Amino acid sequence: MAQEVKSAAIWLLLLLQSSAIVISERTRDKIYQPIIGASCFRRLNGTHQTGCSSTYSGSVGVLHLINVEADLEFLLSSPPSPPYAPLIPPHLFTRTNLLRLKEAGPRIISVVLLINRPKKMNQFSHELNCPNQYSGLKLDNRTETVTCDVTNVGNTWNPWGTGLLHEDFPFPIYYIADAEEIDKLESCFEKFNNFDYASHALRSLCAVEVKSFMSAAVNSEVCMRRTNFINNLGGSKYCDPLEGRNVYATLYPRNSPENLEANAARRVNANEKFIIVSCRLDTTSMFDGLGLGAMDSLLSLATLTHVAHMLRLLLPTQSTLPDPKRNVLFVAFNGESYDYIGSQRFVYDIEHLAFPTRSTHSTPISFENIEFMLDIGTLDDIRNIKLHTLTATPLAQQLLQKLNQYAKSPRYGFNVNIESNVGYQIPPTSAQSFLRRETKFPALILNAVPGNKYYHSVYDDLDNVAFIYGNTSEDYTILADINDKKYFDADSLQMKVRNVSSIVAMALYETLTGKQYQGNEVASSILADEFFYCYLQSSDCPLFKASSYPNSPAGLPLPPMRYISVLGGSQESSGWTYRLLGFLLSHPEPNVPKENCSQLPLFYFAGLNGTGECRRTTQNFTSALSPAFLIEDYDWRSGQYSTWTESTWSQFSARIFLRPSNVHEITTLSIGIVVFIISFCLIYIISSRWEVLFEDVPASNAALPPPTAC
Amino acid sequence: MDLSKAPNPRKLQLCRTYFLTGFAFLPFVWAINVCWFFAEAFRKPTYPEQSQIKRYVIYSAIGTLFWTIALITWIVIFQTNRAAWGATADYISFIIPLGSA
Repeated sequence: MAQEVKSAAIWLLLLLQSSAIVISERTRDKIYQPIIGASCFRRLNGTHQTGCSSTYSGSVGVLHLINVEADLEFLLSSPPSPPYAPLIPPHLFTRTNLLRLKEAGPRIISVVLLINRPKKMNQFSHELNCPNQYSGLKLDNRTETVTCDVTNVGNTWNPWGTGLLHEDFPFPIYYIADAEEIDKLESCFEKFNNFDYASHALRSLCAVEVKSFMSAAVNSEVCMRRTNFINNLGGSKYCDPLEGRNVYATLYPRNSPENLEANAARRVNANEKFIIVSCRLDTTSMFDGLGLGAMDSLLSLATLTHVAHMLRLLLPTQSTLPDPKRNVLFVAFNGESYDYIGSQRFVYDIEHLAFPTRSTHSTPISFENIEFMLDIGTLDDIRNIKLHTLTATPLAQQLLQKLNQYAKSPRYGFNVNIESNVGYQIPPTSAQSFLRRETKFPALILNAVPGNKYYHSVYDDLDNVAFIYGNTSEDYTILADINDKKYFDADSLQMKVRNVSSIVAMALYETLTGKQYQGNEVASSILADEFFYCYLQSSDCPLFKASSYPNSPAGLPLPPMRYISVLGGSQESSGWTYRLLGFLLSHPEPNVPKENCSQLPLFYFAGLNGTGECRRTTQNFTSALSPAFLIEDYDWRSGQYSTWTESTWSQFSARIFLRPSNVHEITTLSIGIVVFIISFCLIYIISSRWEVLFEDVPASNAALPPPTAC
Repeated sequence: MDLSKAPNPRKLQLCRTYFLTGFAFLPFVWAINVCWFFAEAFRKPTYPEQSQIKRYVIYSAIGTLFWTIALITWIVIFQTNRAAWGATADYISFIIPLGSA
């Protein structure tokens, strides 16, 4: 009996131990607390490296909250226990401050944390004053573009630019957006660091460790050489070229019976005439995976989409046009933020009769086929738009007159005035790649006077464009009546896009048909509402759903990433834009059953109600990889094509912990060494006096008895 | 192998083999030869083969020294100039460092 009680008690004890009492937390988890954020990383071009990298095993710095500039002085003049990791709010994240931190060196400043506290922020742009300063239209073999004057900052295309995106930092920069994470950092700083600075060197301090080590270095030439190096047995990649896809679509389907044969030489059809309407697809920021580019490029993409949609609904069939060989080509160029990757490649492809690609079985397009190009640049302030051209031409004059006729018309009440701007002061848009090849190229650029204080930054978001989702659940596939203003205010983003798009679409309508537009229909502000919701708030949205295959998996509840990225990157925005242009520019084919609607150009869309419909599409991709990576023995320093690459990395992480003081560290090490030496002495003594301990045991080196002979 | 148990002619043969092997760009074999036979050549009471062993040990030592100097010189030159040499340095490297020039 007693035995049973005893065993029961033991079992009970074991049970208790395993369930309640045992807390199995790893020591590592007790020491460290992860911090979620986004890291700055390294990009390289033909001559330089830019961005940031941590040390190989991670950079460690003591947290120090910067509230005013004087706090920075303290760190730079007399840091008691370097290296430090300043926590900087955006209004102090200026060029001057960052360059001072860089100058102090990684021994003083090892990490920089940018915290999302934008209260006092008035401007925040990391792009150069002259975006794409070293590409674009150049004259007389100069290295800088002639279209922007750096010496006159107020007159540049980005007067608020700090150029930090093009600086190389010896420390990692980590952006922490989440308020909870910032509170974690701040409370740790307050609890352990923010008192008695004199004794910093003598006590444990709250520190952060950031890992964002970059493999590539020096410039694109070096890292591409190393990546392609045949001796590179490890197969390690140092960097990848920035690479994406341009999206294009035509207003009318193209008929190319002469180019169906796969091996025959491709011939241009001289009768075809194209009006190119283009814009930029991508944006960028300093931090990985962030940056919506709401104002700097999404507005122009929205305008292009609306113009395409409106023209598609308004225009009669191609054969009834005065010139039935005329077509409109809509192109959204990718990678334009990095020296016009997409448009440079597009021009290169046209020169080599490689656009569209052979696999599309369509007739190549040459420069002779292009009637003119209307490039939609940034539209920061729609009341202040200019039509830029290099030289005054009748074509520009006519188009401007058409645009203004609708912009100023009391009938439509857009109240927009578009001015003409002739000369070299041309905005940094895709048209520059075309003008660079041939200054006589008929390029017309619609661009507003710069007004975006957050150009190419994480703060160019929906607040910057004052977007509020209306969620009207109305039909966005039809055009709206001019007097239909019930959902949105006159100065809302949706109405602004509606107005600009309508003006452009009406002018193009007149150009194509030769008749003035008399209708009452204008672009749909409901489409604009849905468009911005998809691109700024969530890919899991009605518009993206309608332009996908029925019941296909929904997009992530995050906006699509619009940075060009590298091969194998997400390419979300080009994919969604492809489907969207496909849906909005296609013609319904109600007589084709679902089974026969699987091969392009036929595509089965979910449609407005999600029921599914077959449509004849015109959209496609072209590669947006700089020609520099195609040309053998390309001279990387020539400045002819974009050479941007992105370094590879293994991980991004940040965590906080209590870093022991120097004294503590030295004591621990000394004790360790002493114990090590003592243990050696002890073993020596034991070994030499073994007989005392092991009296009866024979010595290990004594001869063993010989094996018995059989 | 326990050298103390080998007969003298065997020692000489071993020492000679090691010396000759070293010519195949194997300075470490010379270095081992020096360490291994140093006591045999200079510390042991004389025996007929010892003078030859001594010679091989001295020659191996000279070879080792020559290689050491040559290698150190090359390593210093290469490491200080690697970044400046650019492509050439990459082509003669087996392991290229990450994240630096």
